[in-house]
Amino acid sequence: MMPTQRTEHPVYYAGRFSDDVADVGLPGNHNILSDWDVLPPQLSAALERASVLVVLDVFSFPFESLTGDLQDVPLVLLLPAGSDAGLLTSVFGLAAFARLGFFDRVAVGDAGVWAELRRRYGWVERQRIEVEDDRPEHAAAEISAALEAESAPLTRSLEGDYEADRYWTERGDALAGLAPDRAICSVNHGLRFNKAMHRVQASVLSPQFAAARGTQAEEVSFDVLEVGAGVGRWAAGFDLARTRFTGVDISAGMVEAASANFPECRFDRLVEASILPYGDESFDLAFSVTVMHHNPTPTKLALISEMWRVTRPGGRLMFLEDFVSGEWSTTSTVYPMSVLKFVELLVEATAGQVVLEHVESVRYPHDGFTRGGLLSVSKLGVAKTW
Amino acid sequence: MAENEFYTPTDLDRLRMENELLAFEVRFLKARSVGAPELAGSPISLSRMTHLEEAETDLKLLLSRIKNSPLGPVARTNRSFRTLEDRYLKPSEDAMTMSSSQRVAYLEGAERDLALLLQRLGRGPLGVLFRRRKNFRTLQERYL
Repeated sequence: MMPTQRTEHPVYYAGRFSDDVADVGLPGNHNILSDWDVLPPQLSAALERASVLVVLDVFSFPFESLTGDLQDVPLVLLLPAGSDAGLLTSVFGLAAFARLGFFDRVAVGDAGVWAELRRRYGWVERQRIEVEDDRPEHAAAEISAALEAESAPLTRSLEGDYEADRYWTERGDALAGLAPDRAICSVNHGLRFNKAMHRVQASVLSPQFAAARGTQAEEVSFDVLEVGAGVGRWAAGFDLARTRFTGVDISAGMVEAASANFPECRFDRLVEASILPYGDESFDLAFSVTVMHHNPTPTKLALISEMWRVTRPGGRLMFLEDFVSGEWSTTSTVYPMSVLKFVELLVEATAGQVVLEHVESVRYPHDGFTRGGLLSVSKLGVAKTW
Repeated sequence: MAENEFYTPTDLDRLRMENELLAFEVRFLKARSVGAPELAGSPISLSRMTHLEEAETDLKLLLSRIKNSPLGPVARTNRSFRTLEDRYLKPSEDAMTMSSSQRVAYLEGAERDLALLLQRLGRGPLGVLFRRRKNFRTLQERYL
């Protein structure tokens, strides 16, 4: 079943300020909620078609009620004026800040407060919406304008024959500036869809990232490579103080967007097709997320072989890909390959020098069937250098 | 059709791929939970085991079809067919108590028996009739 596009619109939780915010007359289709509208029975219905939830009154919003599908609604939090980062952390740290991820935003005027919170929670610079006036009714207008500017249609249809390298280079370059906050292959689906996909993928990947680190001493840096890094969203899945994260992508625009998102990480462009610009045994973990299934078999083979080459013996290779193709594959950019075929390819590319560590199927919230799967293997062998 | 070319995936393709994915995951979990050292950890043996189990299922289905068809009484006059019937269609206590290495040997035997049966049926006097059926041709493509 093809994921369907729902008509979604922003929802503003104004709490105690709902009358003031209503008087501003925000443009476009939107809903404004008061503190009565977010009682548990109403909240689910109020957010059913929310493209984003802007919380203008963080003190009275019941963050603990955002469970199930509601946790996929992207959040924009307006931080109250006149509070320092320490106070905000102690009040909202566990309840609100800890649940903010790559697809959520923070509206804040004070650059110092933002810098401190960003450092503490590993947020990226793009997640900030800079507001000049912290009062909810004025900030709402500024946030609305910022969201409106980002909601331009990004549809880019497939023209002519699909050729993976050219297509993803052009698409990446075209979309990097417009949507540096979304997975490139889901760029047309809106933030809520992206956040939902990311949540499901993260629930599968995060335990495996931790397992890949395993018993490695904390003071030893963990070297990670993501192939097809896009805007770099998976860098946020690692403790960057203890991880050297490297991303490689075929699109120069995407490399630029990822570097802006995560300046402490390294992002490189894949200049020579399917040849990773790194030495042998450079990484403890090499992984790809929904990259392989967009490439034809020879490219898959070359990329897997390269990922195996740059991974240290005992290190992990992970592939989170689609192994089931639906009807839409005829018009999309997916090369269907079953999991068994992929395993055969994996064995061929690595001469069988891998051990299967984990297999997990993935069902996305918008699908009626299971199409994704994670394969994690460790590399056999003895290190060339110690 | 070259492997790299696009094709129109049908519902059947999707179901087959989804089934493969879920079966592969189940096999991995089973291997990990029972701690079968010769199965766990090896992607080669895992995908091979999945293939062998499919062969066993296909063989059972084929034997049942033949047994329940008008040709059943004729087929049962053949000793080899009766042996296959006994081995794969009659529930056996042994199947529940097999060690993993015995299970692998049993499944490999099933794969060999299926290939032999398909060859016999395809070359026999009714081979032309069998080959007119798409399911039979699919099995031939898969196992011969």
